Amino acid sequence: MIRLQNIEKVYRTDTVETLAVKGVNLDIAKGEFLSIMGPSGCGKSTLLNIMGLLDDPSKGSITINNQDTKNLSDQQLAKFRNQHIGFIFQSYHLINDLQVLDNVALPLLYRSSTEKERRILAAVALEKVGLSNRLKHFPTQLSGGQRQRVAIARAIVGSPQIILADEPTGNLDSAMGNEIMEILINLNKHRDTTIVMVTHDENMAQKTHRLIRLFDGSQVL
Amino acid sequence: MLKHLFILIWNKRKQNFLFLSELLVSFLVIFAVFSFLVYYFQNYKKPLGFEYEKVWSIHFTNSVKIKNMDSLSMYYDNLRKTLKSLPQIEKVSFSGANIPYSNNNSTTGLTNNGKKYNRINNYRVENEYKDLWKMKLVEGRWYNEQDITSTYIPMVINESLKEEMFGKGPATGKLIGSLEDKIKWKVIGVTADMKANGDFYPAGPAIYAKVDTSAYRWMRNALIKVSPGADAAFESRLYKLLSGTLKNSNIEITHLTDMRKSKNEATIIPMIIFMIIAGFLMINVALGLFGVLWYNINKRRSEIGLRRAIGAGGKSVSYQLVYESLILATMSLTAGCFFAIQFPLLNVFDIPASVYLTAILLAMIFIYMLVFLCSLYPGKQAAAIHPAIALHEE
Repeated sequence: MIRLQNIEKVYRTDTVETLAVKGVNLDIAKGEFLSIMGPSGCGKSTLLNIMGLLDDPSKGSITINNQDTKNLSDQQLAKFRNQHIGFIFQSYHLINDLQVLDNVALPLLYRSSTEKERRILAAVALEKVGLSNRLKHFPTQLSGGQRQRVAIARAIVGSPQIILADEPTGNLDSAMGNEIMEILINLNKHRDTTIVMVTHDENMAQKTHRLIRLFDGSQVL
Repeated sequence: MLKHLFILIWNKRKQNFLFLSELLVSFLVIFAVFSFLVYYFQNYKKPLGFEYEKVWSIHFTNSVKIKNMDSLSMYYDNLRKTLKSLPQIEKVSFSGANIPYSNNNSTTGLTNNGKKYNRINNYRVENEYKDLWKMKLVEGRWYNEQDITSTYIPMVINESLKEEMFGKGPATGKLIGSLEDKIKWKVIGVTADMKANGDFYPAGPAIYAKVDTSAYRWMRNALIKVSPGADAAFESRLYKLLSGTLKNSNIEITHLTDMRKSKNEATIIPMIIFMIIAGFLMINVALGLFGVLWYNINKRRSEIGLRRAIGAGGKSVSYQLVYESLILATMSLTAGCFFAIQFPLLNVFDIPASVYLTAILLAMIFIYMLVFLCSLYPGKQAAAIHPAIALHEE
């Protein structure tokens, strides 16, 4: 499903050159639930951004669904992300000025769909994460766990084959974290969604199919 | 997408209040500027209706002590003969103070079929008045010697008054009355409008009433049309001649070309000052809009990063910012139009509705252009936001 070959990422300033990711090779199968662990600053999020086509690697190639993404334009990359990848972030990244339903429907705005279709799909996605009674609420009226569930609904509304989650339980207590983890496991199990999750939590990582560890930008396990 | 943006803006209406107010005030100022400009331009386009070159106005204080009206009339006839004896003087017509391009006006009220018409310019004229100004008749005739014997008192009106009173139909032969309808005049002719208040003001409805002997008591101006050869030396000779004829009178000779220039300047200079002030205001508004939009982008980096991540291309983000600004402008303009439309509805300042409607349209285009241009660069900046960096900042 996702193939990373010899990925390197270098951040350059006038005086300093930082190698954030070094020679990572990774094959992630369809329907796999993979977790990435490592100390802060080891390049986990950078690797996830590269995998999600949000950032270009300095070297190496990314193939998703048998498509080499190297030569895609900005517009093509945006379309590819919209159709194949769902994102979940530690700090939710919800738009506080939009109601929950509108937040969830956001990825569908960049597809050819009617408003009615968008609202139906968003309502279905919210039902899946147990928030069908919060459609008209604003994000500021929700708890952290509820906000993350809204973010998950937004990630799955377009039925992507891949979900990339950057510390999805990082801002939540353990009970809330477990709830979110259950939702992700269910998505993986019942929808065959490939999930790549960055986490600091060993217990969460143990619940996934495979765990890889990064240290100083290199894959060590 | 537009509905989505409208919802987003509506939910942020409190944050956008200052932006909306700024646009509303700008619209109203621009509407005022365009109202003046359109009004002046519409009037400027209309024909002048007379020729002012080589017309001089001789203003004199009447020191004549003659109380008998016929004697006074004869006195003025003698003065006319004296003036006409000079080969450089082609036409002479005595007039009241309301000569073209002067700051004086004389108005009266009229009645037609029971309907009252107020603020009608009242010019007291002599037979040569029309030829002196080379006024054009659009209907009927000008005064002649036979008018003395006619049953009704004749009256010449201008085209504006004709349209007000009789619409597109003919006016010649119709009777019009004084304000109290006690005196009746018969319209014998209609002249083309004569823009007597400068190039930028309309002629307005007017009557050209022939003077009778009693009117000479108020005549303080002799209008003369001079030949092309009349120069400063002639003006000097004329002045000496009049000083000798009109003893104990103060005499002032003014060229109509100078009066016209001065009258037009009295319109143009305040307008230029107003436009400069409005221009500075618009520069401030443009910088303000630019600043607010730029600031908004920096405040919304996370949202922009998210939109990029979930499928918005750079162009799409850029367009979104521009569309948002245009929607905000539309909201302000809707409120602005509500106020502006009151002007034609209430007929404020008695200016034609077409002036206000054109000004509203131009002001809307101006504000849309201003907002569009001010949002282009911030929109481009938004498109350049790197999603990975923007999402990491939160």
